[in-house]
Amino acid sequence: MPELRRDPVIGRWVIIDSGHTKGPLDFPKEDNTPTRQAVCPFCPGREYQTPQEVDAVRPGNSPANTSGWLVRTIPNKFPVLSSDGSLQKEGHEMYDQMTGIGAHEVLIENPDHDKTITDLTQDEMKAVLSQYQGRFRQLSKDSRFKYVVIFKNFGASAGATVEHTHSQIIALPMVPKTVLEELKGSEHYHQQHNRCVFCDMISQEYKDKERIVIENSSFLAFCPYAPRYAFETWIIPKGHIADFANTDEITQSHLAQILQDVLKRLKKALGNPSYNYYLHTAPIGYAHSERYHWHIEIIPKLTRSVGFEWGTGLHIVPTFPQDAARYLREAQSTN
Amino acid sequence: MSQLRKDPIVGRWTIIATERARRPAAFVDPQSTISDRKTCPFCQDIASPGIYEYHGVKVFNSGSPILDSTQPFKRHTQGLYELAHSYGSHEVVVETPEHIANMADLPIGQIKAVIQTYALRMQTHRKNPSIEYVLAYKNYGVAAGSRNIGHCRSQIMAVPVLPMRVDDKIKGAQTYFDCHERCLFCDIVSQELKNKERLVVENDDFMVIIPFAARFPFETWILPKKHHCDFADGIKGAEDSLAAIMKDILLRFKIGLNDPAYNYMIQTSPVKAPAAFKDNYHWHIEVMPRLTRVAGFERGTGFYICPIPPEMMADFLREVDIHA
Repeated sequence: MPELRRDPVIGRWVIIDSGHTKGPLDFPKEDNTPTRQAVCPFCPGREYQTPQEVDAVRPGNSPANTSGWLVRTIPNKFPVLSSDGSLQKEGHEMYDQMTGIGAHEVLIENPDHDKTITDLTQDEMKAVLSQYQGRFRQLSKDSRFKYVVIFKNFGASAGATVEHTHSQIIALPMVPKTVLEELKGSEHYHQQHNRCVFCDMISQEYKDKERIVIENSSFLAFCPYAPRYAFETWIIPKGHIADFANTDEITQSHLAQILQDVLKRLKKALGNPSYNYYLHTAPIGYAHSERYHWHIEIIPKLTRSVGFEWGTGLHIVPTFPQDAARYLREAQSTN
Repeated sequence: MSQLRKDPIVGRWTIIATERARRPAAFVDPQSTISDRKTCPFCQDIASPGIYEYHGVKVFNSGSPILDSTQPFKRHTQGLYELAHSYGSHEVVVETPEHIANMADLPIGQIKAVIQTYALRMQTHRKNPSIEYVLAYKNYGVAAGSRNIGHCRSQIMAVPVLPMRVDDKIKGAQTYFDCHERCLFCDIVSQELKNKERLVVENDDFMVIIPFAARFPFETWILPKKHHCDFADGIKGAEDSLAAIMKDILLRFKIGLNDPAYNYMIQTSPVKAPAAFKDNYHWHIEVMPRLTRVAGFERGTGFYICPIPPEMMADFLREVDIHA
């Protein structure tokens, strides 16, 4: 059973993944680019090789765990958290721990093994986002969970180990530290100004203009003023909305358009880099918060973080956000 | 000119280092080659005068500095946003005149000289009233963010803002002290010495543990047994035993984990208002082999997945024979 532990100094929880412990020498010193798998368990026709699906988009209403799906969500075969059991919390003198309860799912974005997310059609991309939303809504009903994270690792140096295009979903019994910091920060700002800090950021980005990459009628894509990583890019809804799960269908088609557009620009400008993106949304039960504002953060994996950044949390970024935004504006978003 | 910028949501400062400004195409991973004595820039540098020299350790200003102190430190606002130019110092510590790659292979006496150099540089930098924090750290190996030159070195940065993770640690320790009137780290020291399952090695003055909630495989802390908030003052009289335990743990990594890349960083109290940290903060060193990559989940949430229980890591490191 995996375990959740809280660092007593800064309060950060970690997952100790004792379920499939690796020996010390099992860690590669350098990962290489993934080789194409001869037999990919995510491809249609091999549904029997994966755990039983929890959800899928099946345009022809084919039966579960057969081919004919457009998007398919399965439990991770090697989950970092277990979905069975109850949440038990205990203290060991000064240390806190809880049972590693949660959900860990893999969302296969398309049946075609040779497509990456930027190759999907607009409708295929919409199907991925609507599956994101469906999983959010479903997992939010489990009273053991406080937060759902959807994220994507693209490329070996961003942590991807399977080539077939996919995202991952992790449901957690607590709000993770980075989100908690955003919540606290936006709460503090709201107390002072009675406005949403993200909404104010959007207006300032319109005023300054130089960090904007692209926009459509529902979303703004920009390089944040104080990024942690070179070419870090955020996609944020222009109107105030705390929770991704509450977005409507039109908004989702606008999101499909802008997300693919930005990813194509990154691909073009940076030569198909590895990247991560993740969705930051309000914790379960805070859907109508006036303070929080959901968004997607995209971080290309271009540099290695050095000791200084690990030790201090003070990131060293080699590119100004206005320059990154300009490069991305100039990159044509076609494949 | 480089800038320091503050994130308006969480209050995190970032350094935008334009001296290293790169176009998109320049983000290709450089193929690193290990230099020999003849091509090693640090073997050449050792003949030139540095800004400081101590027992074979030489300190130079970084050749590609991220910070500079030629203009006075000043903060500005830009609407919602806050910025400053990146004031401060960035120094390279060349640890030995010998062309040796890993600190684990230096004699204990030389490691001691490196530690003393850190302390002396920290004492110098903290006299500057614009400096909030001084960090001494090492990147060893390409996966740890270093160029593969094969010559032992570390770095010192003096910055005019309090870095977020340091602030997190200080606030955590302060909150604990407010509740218990005891130092959080002293309580960790006594609990770890009592149950021993995460203890790797100890001597009279220091202990090495795998922290209870480690973020990375083989993340390790070197904790002084005696309470002191500040590294430069706290190591007085214990320099030999710190050098010995650093060599010990770095050899355990080298032998047990097949010469991995690693980072270490000295976590000490902020330089301003030392009285505020005297009772509740406790300096220590974090040492982290770089064995896994950080993926989207960790980057997006600050929530780490450690694939091996800390007790098992400690077991493994305890059993490494460093005298083999």
